[in-house]
Amino acid sequence: MSDVLATLSNELAAVVENTGRSVVRVEARRRLPASGVVWSNDGLIVTAHHVVHWDENIRVGVGAETFPAALVGRDPSTDLAVLRAEGIRLPAAAWETPDDLRVGHLALALGRPGRSVQATFGIVSALGEGWRSPAGGLIDRYLQTDVVMYPGFSGGPLVDALGNVRGVNSSALMRGVSLAVPTSTVSRVVEALLEHGYIRRGYLGVGAQPARLPEAIAEKLGQETGLLLVSVEKGSPAEQGGLVMGDTIVGLGGERVRHLDDLMALLGGDAVGQERAVRVLRGGGLAEVTVVIGERE
Amino acid sequence: MSDLIQQLNSALARAAETADASLVQVSNGWRGQGSGIVVHPEGLILTNGHVMRRDEVKATLPDGRILPARLLARYEDHDLALLRVDASDLPALPLGSSKALRAGEWVLALGYPWGVPGAATAGVVIGVGDGLPERPNFGSEWLAVDLHLRPGDSGGPMVNAAGELVGVNTVMAGPDVGLAIPVDVVKRFMKQALQAESKAA
Repeated sequence: MSDVLATLSNELAAVVENTGRSVVRVEARRRLPASGVVWSNDGLIVTAHHVVHWDENIRVGVGAETFPAALVGRDPSTDLAVLRAEGIRLPAAAWETPDDLRVGHLALALGRPGRSVQATFGIVSALGEGWRSPAGGLIDRYLQTDVVMYPGFSGGPLVDALGNVRGVNSSALMRGVSLAVPTSTVSRVVEALLEHGYIRRGYLGVGAQPARLPEAIAEKLGQETGLLLVSVEKGSPAEQGGLVMGDTIVGLGGERVRHLDDLMALLGGDAVGQERAVRVLRGGGLAEVTVVIGERE
Repeated sequence: MSDLIQQLNSALARAAETADASLVQVSNGWRGQGSGIVVHPEGLILTNGHVMRRDEVKATLPDGRILPARLLARYEDHDLALLRVDASDLPALPLGSSKALRAGEWVLALGYPWGVPGAATAGVVIGVGDGLPERPNFGSEWLAVDLHLRPGDSGGPMVNAAGELVGVNTVMAGPDVGLAIPVDVVKRFMKQALQAESKAA
């Protein structure tokens, strides 16, 4: 049966074996270890933020051996973390952007929660424009596959049929779908973390909770809820811009604000230092103030 | 490109046919049923231990005959059972090697899911051995595959692209991962069981 199925099967296994050399076990939480991908030959490793519970005593491994690794930084908004392994030389993966991927292309998810590399297989299910993660991270492309995310696969690579890494898999970015953070976003986050050790986030300085809007206003705006301010920090960008307790934010920078996720998504690093028009419900009518978005410490 | 997909389709169909030719249905009266595999032409059938709720069951052979099957041996820790039917010249499935399996390799699982005869499902090897996370509290070595096993698949064959037996469909680990008992465990069990039988004889 030396046919196309056997050939495909062997080639998939060869891709797993080759690319698997750049996939490491990340031991940074209790119980099950997770996975990481080697970013560069100088020991940088990309993994998922949500599997790195510890800031110290992190170890990475291939096979039975483990080596210490330092946390370079993390970005909860894109669910990425960067480690620097010490005392081990691992080959960098072949990173490629997902630009030429098409829906239907074959894809593998690789992981190494144990000693040996593991794999699941599927196709590219959906591709889209950039999007905001629920935590407010800007992700350059929407990249969804139907690969099974086996326990410990988070932080591992999404690999194409030729063995190129197109992104980093995360099961926490959105529950229930297999999403990958595309290589272009990984690249941006790695650079920022190397430079600052953290990712810039916008800062308003308010405590808020969702509140139902009066019917007439809701109909006019086409949204049911806004964010009622329950506190405004002294000296914060919000206070300086004239926001007061009791205001209900309904929009920011021309975008709707219905719940906290909306606001978080609009306070990405790109908003820092920018003037934003904030639309509020105040005393029964709509008003607008201008706020200069600060930077979260 | 479409040529390639057609070739792939017919190769998948051939691998499924190979496994189907050795597929058995094992019935415990009116309720429980599972699958089994012809592993020797002289009437040896392999299935899961949990499929064998009693020592006498009915086996529907690949050629459609329904024969009584007698329990020969159980491998308690590994959820395996070996049965004998009074038949010969049966199409036995060639045994592959689970040690030789590599992550990413393609496999097919056949069985009687929900009682549907010879239904197939395909996936790739996630991993094999004793270092897998999520696994049941019995057995020690597993073959994890990204496919869905359903009630009735238990005891059925998992084959590689060459149509060789690489595992016995056994249980799901979580919603999306199927576990099979690796064929290397099966080989150990069969050797023990047959040695014990010849001694007894």
